[in-house]
Amino acid sequence: MLLEIISELLKLTIFAGLALAGILAILIWKKNLTTKVTYLRTFVQVVAMIAFFYIFSYTTWLLLILVVIFAISIVLGRFFCGWLCPFGLYLDLVAVIRKTLNTRYWSLPEKLNRSLHILRYLLLVFFIVLPFMLGPIEAWQWSLAKFLMGPFKPISVLLGPVEPLIIPWESPLKLYGLSFSYPYASIITFYSGENFALINTFIFMALTLASSFVVRRFWCRFCPTGASLAIVNRFRVFKWIPFLRLSKVEEKCTKCGICKRVCPVQVTDVYEQKGGDITTSMCMLCLRCVEMCPYEDCLKLSMAGKTLFKSRNWLEPSKIT
Amino acid sequence: MNETSEKKYSLEIFPKEIEELKNTIKTASTKIMEEYIERMRKTWPDRPEEMQYFDEIAKFWGTREKEIVEAREEGKKVIGYTCMFAPIELILAAGAIPVRVSSGLYDPVKLGNRVVPVEVCPVVRSTIGVKMVGLSPYLELSDALITSLTCDGMTKLSEILSDYKPVWTLCPPRLKDSEQSISFWKEELKAVKEKIEKLTGTKITSSKLKSAIERLHRATRAFRRLQDLRKGNPVIMGRDAMLVNQTLMWDDVERWTQKTEKLCDELERRAQGKVWACPLKTPRVMIAGTPIIWPDNWKLPNLVEEANPQGVIVADELCSGDRFLYDPVGVDEWTMEDMFNAVADRYLLPSTCPCFTSEDGNEDRVNWIKARVEERRVDGVVYHVYRGCMLYAMEYMRIKKVLDKINVPVYYLDTDYTREDVGQIKTRVEAFLEMLKSRVEF
Ligand code: SF4
Ligand code: SF4
Ligand code: SF4
Repeated sequence: MLLEIISELLKLTIFAGLALAGILAILIWKKNLTTKVTYLRTFVQVVAMIAFFYIFSYTTWLLLILVVIFAISIVLGRFFCGWLCPFGLYLDLVAVIRKTLNTRYWSLPEKLNRSLHILRYLLLVFFIVLPFMLGPIEAWQWSLAKFLMGPFKPISVLLGPVEPLIIPWESPLKLYGLSFSYPYASIITFYSGENFALINTFIFMALTLASSFVVRRFWCRFCPTGASLAIVNRFRVFKWIPFLRLSKVEEKCTKCGICKRVCPVQVTDVYEQKGGDITTSMCMLCLRCVEMCPYEDCLKLSMAGKTLFKSRNWLEPSKIT
Repeated sequence: MNETSEKKYSLEIFPKEIEELKNTIKTASTKIMEEYIERMRKTWPDRPEEMQYFDEIAKFWGTREKEIVEAREEGKKVIGYTCMFAPIELILAAGAIPVRVSSGLYDPVKLGNRVVPVEVCPVVRSTIGVKMVGLSPYLELSDALITSLTCDGMTKLSEILSDYKPVWTLCPPRLKDSEQSISFWKEELKAVKEKIEKLTGTKITSSKLKSAIERLHRATRAFRRLQDLRKGNPVIMGRDAMLVNQTLMWDDVERWTQKTEKLCDELERRAQGKVWACPLKTPRVMIAGTPIIWPDNWKLPNLVEEANPQGVIVADELCSGDRFLYDPVGVDEWTMEDMFNAVADRYLLPSTCPCFTSEDGNEDRVNWIKARVEERRVDGVVYHVYRGCMLYAMEYMRIKKVLDKINVPVYYLDTDYTREDVGQIKTRVEAFLEMLKSRVEF
């Protein structure tokens, strides 16, 4: 047992080390300012994924993890989605593969994108509120109630995206002694029964990967976990809560449209709103728009009034002699 | 167009008359260019050596003309454009040489008057005149022209020019911010792209387009570096910065980039050594409005910077100046399609041309001016309009009200392609500068 843990630890350390070295190498090789944040973000995502593995191996108390995630989201808004969520990382990696294949993504029509965003809240209501409403009425008689409180209980649904690829518990998919999983796979397994668990997981994997191959971060556009994190950004009354805010200086924005084009979840508010606070519930604070906006101090990420990162003339560093 | 096709607008002129007119105007204009460069040197006695390169390129009938002639003999194509809506990235990607051909020469206006009435914008009349006698080397050497249907003058100019050269029109939509507009604009660019490919016989591949975008990124970097140097205390006179900006219109992009970077290095050294181009209390002026094109159009900049009291131009809002290369193409993923979209966006969306309108009343332009006024610490704005330039003239009140609100004086100057009003403008400009000066000193 101990030996196994040590070997896993070793593997992960090597993996993390390699990832870190790779990213550093890319960073040094590519002095381009427009991708620095993206690389940093990928790095943080990888670290977060490993962290989730450890969290899962030390505690089985899922509720605690969820509470922590919510606590983070109250302070940081959807920062979680852009920087920490492992599922987000997988979807980003799919996009990297797509880029290397020189294929362009599809953009969803704006209306559809907005309705997907609404769907996210409906899913959240469905998974969180309904069980509690149905529960007291008819106890455990209702099959729907059973179903929702059982395999699809809110905690596992909301924690679905943070399931790391390698997990410390038993799973139907084993390779070289490692248990592999995928976001939502444990729920699917739970629900599918012995024979179909693997097939269903694969179908789900294929669907999510294929959809995010053609549309950037497709899952994230209606993910219910994202909704729970987004709520504090959704309603004006809560505006004072998240300390992380994106803002724009109206005069500096030339409406060049770059921010709109580069946003992986097609947020249009950054472009369309005049200025001031432009944080929205759709935005996952990945900062791609901030790093790509070519005008100094136009877009800004601030925390409790302090500027953390702002847009700048990214042509600057490439000094030619 | 071949010789036999019917000329829709242009008049027959005897070859002999053409030759004569061309020679007289050429001699006069050469002299003016030299004189203006000399005057720039005089105003700024320790003008950096690096400026000499730009002086050389600024002379129309000189080094650059020869270079283009040679490049053409080697089979390179030259593509002229009248307006900054033309996608330079695409021209460069196809290996062609982009040159801007709208004219800033005064004398050919009289010729243009034979074709179109005097009420028409003088840039248009002058360009027609220049073409009639084959005066501008860049216009003559162009294998095709990209014209933009922005204002009425430019729209008809493109018809008139089609008497002489293949003309490819680009029609910017009047509203920028809608999906239809953007997809329409992309179609326009796509058509032009195909024509460029056909003319040059080069397919614009993604690696070629990428390299062209990167070349222009470097140029934009140098361009913005120069403009940013005008933010602080004056290290460069406005006219000289404007000249550097203008030479990009026909110079080789890469060489221009290098030379501009060099100039900026020198200017930075001067800023560190606190060597200023003029006294610190000199009123800081911004020019807004109709494009000012080298050489004859230097009338206004000359007046401002040679006036008593002197002013220094620290910013402009001209599509032939500060705005020319300010916005970079922002590519998200380096696929052909995304690069193309990025290029299309760059030419349409950040443009503050008054040919656009929007619900908020061309707010983009207002914001651009406000941002420049703030960052360059502008003391006063000269709103420059040619007679016949409807769009800029009509937007004056919009801009004035905004500037009044932030307490920046603005002076409306309407003029024409003529030297006759110099004296009269001089008094008015000096009065304006006097007023600015008293405000600065106060
Ligand atoms: S939206 Fe869901 S899957 Fe996407 S990053 Fe956020 S929590 Fe993860
Ligand atoms: S990228 Fe920056 S300047 Fe361009 S539209 Fe967005 S916020 Fe405005
Ligand atoms: S709006 Fe900007 S920070 Fe938000 S998701 Fe889009 S690109 Fe990322």
